[in-house]
Formats: sequence, structure tokens, C-alpha cells
Amino acid sequence: MAREENIDVLIIGAGASGGVAARHLAEKGFSVVCLEQGEWPDRNDFRGAEDDWELAIRKDWALSPNIRKLDSDYPVNAEKSDIDPLMFNAVGGSMVIYAGTWPRMLPSDFRVKSLDGVAEDWPIDYFELAPYYDQIDLEIGVSGLAGDPAYPAHPDYPLPPLPLGKAGRKVAQAHNDLGWHWWPEPNAILSAPYDGRNPCVQRGVCTSGCGEGAKASTDLTHWPKAIGAGAKLITSARVRKITVNDQGLATGAVWVDPEGREFHQSAKVVILAANAIGTARLLLLSKNSMFPNGLANSSGLVGKRLMMHPFAVVTGWFDESLEGWQGQFGASITSYQFYETNPQHDFVRGAKWALSPVGGPLNHVLPMRAGTEVWGEQHHELMNRTFGKGATWAIFGEDLPEESNYIELDESLSDSSGIPSPKVHYKISQNSKRLMGFQVERAEESLRAAGASDVTTANLLRYSGWHLMGTAKMGDDPAKSVVNRFQRSHDVENLYIVDGSVFVTSSGVNPTATITALALRTADNIVKSRSLQAVPS
Amino acid sequence: MIELDQRLISQLTSIADVMLPETPQMPSVSGTGSFEASLLKVLDSRPDLAKGLKTAIDLLPKETFQLSDLDELLTKDPEAYTALTTIVAASYYQVKEVKVRIGYPGQVPKTYDPYAYVEWVQEGLLDPVVERGQIWKDPREEVK
Repeated sequence: MAREENIDVLIIGAGASGGVAARHLAEKGFSVVCLEQGEWPDRNDFRGAEDDWELAIRKDWALSPNIRKLDSDYPVNAEKSDIDPLMFNAVGGSMVIYAGTWPRMLPSDFRVKSLDGVAEDWPIDYFELAPYYDQIDLEIGVSGLAGDPAYPAHPDYPLPPLPLGKAGRKVAQAHNDLGWHWWPEPNAILSAPYDGRNPCVQRGVCTSGCGEGAKASTDLTHWPKAIGAGAKLITSARVRKITVNDQGLATGAVWVDPEGREFHQSAKVVILAANAIGTARLLLLSKNSMFPNGLANSSGLVGKRLMMHPFAVVTGWFDESLEGWQGQFGASITSYQFYETNPQHDFVRGAKWALSPVGGPLNHVLPMRAGTEVWGEQHHELMNRTFGKGATWAIFGEDLPEESNYIELDESLSDSSGIPSPKVHYKISQNSKRLMGFQVERAEESLRAAGASDVTTANLLRYSGWHLMGTAKMGDDPAKSVVNRFQRSHDVENLYIVDGSVFVTSSGVNPTATITALALRTADNIVKSRSLQAVPS
Repeated sequence: MIELDQRLISQLTSIADVMLPETPQMPSVSGTGSFEASLLKVLDSRPDLAKGLKTAIDLLPKETFQLSDLDELLTKDPEAYTALTTIVAASYYQVKEVKVRIGYPGQVPKTYDPYAYVEWVQEGLLDPVVERGQIWKDPREEVK
């Protein structure tokens, strides 16, 4: 086994949180090495501008690693899960394939125990995180409009909002008529040139890689700056376990390259940034005699409380063309009308809605949306009635944490390096089912008020696990949490977790803005407390 | 990669013509005149579907194919069903004439004025939302 120089900080994972942490630590003079199992995205490989785009998103650019089966992916056993986890392994991580919507969590999201009597409160609140949201909005290049009454006041976004489009205007007017909330969606997608990057051209292909580089991902926004500040990024480097010394401090990580050669990277501090499935998997893989149940797992909560957001799409079909294949995906407008708990409901918490394009021809006629009765003459009738005439409310409901939703190591499935895969156990809760049923009905009402002549619904979709959260919970009590309020392990004093694993509750919004704001806050704390940091001798 | 010979392509075209027949507005698959070229492009993009496509052609009746046979295929071999329907639809909608008829230019770039939002803000589109005031819950007050 080759052994490399001892450095200040080892980061595992070069996605959203890893990129943010690397840049800020490197810029403050820390020596940083990052191990990433994927490669740099090559924009020449993106298919959004090509005729075969809709074919590519069903295989090589599928959102699920179990469908893509790229060398950089690891399979996830989801047989015991109602939702298939989605992710992308590359520099930039799952940001390469996310939609790019960029909402903050709301103040109530941090206090669901106090407000609604469910789950637990976060040890921090919105107002403590707000300055980091403000800073990360500038680094990412967010397009939006300040003043949304669904949020506390905050500084304006650096760029103007992306176009509402015909559908956005129509539905916005309907919400005004209904007296319902709407607002232009903040997107991590440039509406104008910014920081050397080009603006969005409205292709509507955001979830299969942005060829223009307008959609933010850390391979564009953070890694070039991190590397410029001295950080070293090693790709195709798959971590097998985190190593510890006799004092219970992390000493680095063992990783393998695609040829199967094994290396050890030493470090004074280790940061996990591998998403809520990958991070829990690594902690469980790193068990040893001192940590027999997995590293940092004295609470028994590593891998538990997985949250993935139940998801529905409600599509309104209008009589005129809305050019429904075009526009940021991303979203044009959002609604928080039914976000907060209402005592009249038979569920707690709520959901965020985002109005999105519908895609190209295949998305209209293949079974996921159209069912199996779409062939023959009725095929052309269906296309004539729907193509280009749709607008979709994409709805994410808050997913409350339950210890029965968890990740373990699979006994037989492994990745191409022979490392055991994660096995996901996840059931959609009764609260989620009631919550989503209500939201779907209201979304149908919204679209009909906007003039839709028909509305179709797909609720509780299986391939919808974009948002992976909760498997290494943050908290003040070491018996009931994995990391403290600064995302440092209670058990291993030089081990930090900066991805969505640390979420105490899921909120009902897309999590990347919060993940990156938290990563920035943790990096800031590592810098401020460096003289107090315990490190291996 | 499984090669599709002329016999298989001909059988597939016959099946596809039933799935996507001619109407006054739209051509049938064979009526596009370029289905085969499109099919080969699709298979070049998705070689993983070729095996399922061949299975589907083998399993479906050749001379007497009707739409109800697709239901049976879905039950018997879902992978073959997915391959067949994906390839037929993708090949059809990649034909230029078909795209023109449905008004689809592809996922093309579009220019816009990023400051056009000022117009709809000034028109008052957001005014009702703003006038209703704060809807976020402040936990600092709610839990007192």
C-alpha cells in the first residue's frame, strides 16, 4: 500500500458540500486533498443539444445509478425501498444532474418539534444559517427575486429571475385569482453572464447536465477556485474505509483506483461529503475493534432516519401551445401556499411546489406518463392534445424521520472494486401519503384555475430519491445524534460530515442550498477553531 | 451488438405501422420514408436496447400483429416491451418531417431579456402576493 504525505484536511466526495468545503479551507491556507470516485464531467459528453437526448436520459444519463451502471457508480440495493435513491458520482456530484432550484429552508423547518410536536428541532435555527445562505447565493450565482413573503427578508439574489414563460405567467395569474401564494423560483442557474460563466439558454435539459455551464455545480463554481488555492483533487479514487488510531482519531482513508491498487491518504482532519447514502455506507464500512458498530456510531444512528421526500407530478394540459418542452428545469415559479402545518388537516407539515417543463415527445408518450394505451390512432390524438401544451407542478412533501428507514451494508451486492453496496430500507409514511394526497388535489385545482382542460397526476413516484438526508443526524446530545452543531462527530473529534446526512428533519424544499450553506458554516468553524482541533500525533 | 437484418427491420416496420398508423395529420412509420435511417441512429445511441427489440420482434406475431399483442408482450417480457416502444417512438420522433408536423424544433437554445421581469413586476403581477403579507411562521414568536 502506497502512503502519501500527511495533509491538513482530507475530503471524501467532490460534490456540493465537498466542493464548498475544499474551496474555503484551501483559501484559508489549509492543505486539502479530495478523493472522488467519479471523474470530471466533460461537457462534450452532455446530450441536451443532441437528437438522442431523450434516449440518453433513460440510460447513460439516467438519474439512478442502478440504471446508468457507469464504472464510477456503485449499485444501491433498493428492493426494500418505496423510493429509488438518485445520485451522480463525479466532480460536482449530484449537482451535475439536479434541477437547480435553490430554495432555502424556512424558519419553521428548524423547529418542527416545538411547532408541531413531531420529530425534533435542529440545534441551530434559520437565523444562524442565514448569513451562510447569503454568501453561498453569491458563490453559486443564484437567479431570483428577493421579497418573497414566504421567507424572512434577505439580500437580493445576484442575478435577476429566469423567465416565467407562458406557463408560469398563466399559473401565477391563477394563483392571484385564488388568493394563493406564488413567487418566481430562485434557481442556481444563471440568467445573465456571471463569474466567467454563460447564462441559461432555456433548453430544458438541466437534469441531464447543462452544456452551457449555466447551472451551478461545484465543478464550475468551487473546484477551479479550490484548486487555484492549492487543493488537490484525485478522481477515480474510491474510498474503502476511514482509518483511526489508538486514540480514536481519524488518520485518513484507504482508497482504491480503477486498477485495484490500494493507497492510504493521511490527514489531520477528515471530512465526509459523500451524500447521505455514501457517507453512512463509509462509516459502516469503517468499523473496527474500537468502533464495532461503525465509525462515529455510539448513538446507533448512523444510517438511520433516512429521508428522501415523497414526490408527485401534477400536469395541466392546456388548449394552446406553451412550448412546454422549453425553459429552466429548474422551475419558473414556486408556491408555499400549503407548506406550513394546518390544524384542520389530517397530517402535519406540508410541501413545496415548483412549476416545470414537461420534456420532449418521448416523455409524453412512453408509459411513465402516458400509460400503455397510447398506440394506434389514439397515439396521434394524445400528442395533438398534449405535446407542448403541458405545465407540471413538481411537488416535494416533507418527509419526517423514522428510524425504521435506514441503510445497511448489503451482504452480497458490491461495487466494481468489491466494496459492499448500501441496502436501503424505506417506507413512505402514512403522514406522507395523506400530505401528498392533499397537495395533489390542490395542485389540480391550481392548474384547472389556470385554464387546464385536463390534469394528470403521478403521485409517490418511485424514481424520485434526489434528496438524500438524515443518516448522520446533527444534535447536541451524543446519545441521540452523530455530529454536533458544527457537524463534527461526537465520537471522533477530527471527523466532520458536511453532506445531507446531518439533516435533523427534511423540510419540504430542495436541500442543496442548505447543504452548501451548512458546509460553508462548518468550514468557517474549522478555520476559526483550528488551534483547538484535536489531531492525530 | 445484435445486427438487425433487413428481414427484422421489415418486420419491425410492419409492427410499428400498426403502433403509429397514418392519420390525416401524421404519416405512418413507413410513410415517413426515413424510419430505417432513424432506427439505426437510435440503435447507435442505445445499443443496450437491441437485444430486447429482437426479442420483441421474435415474440410478436408477424402477419397478424394487432395492438392487443402489446399487452401480452408487456406481461411476458417487460424488458422487450420497453425496448420496442422506446425504439419505435424515438425513431419516429427523430424524423425531421414528424418533428415539423408536431411543431417540435428540439431542445434548441432561446434568447431572452433577463431584465424583462421588471415589466411584469411593474404591471403588478406580484402585487396580490405582496399585499397579503408575510406567510412564514416565526418560531421565535410561535413557541413563546
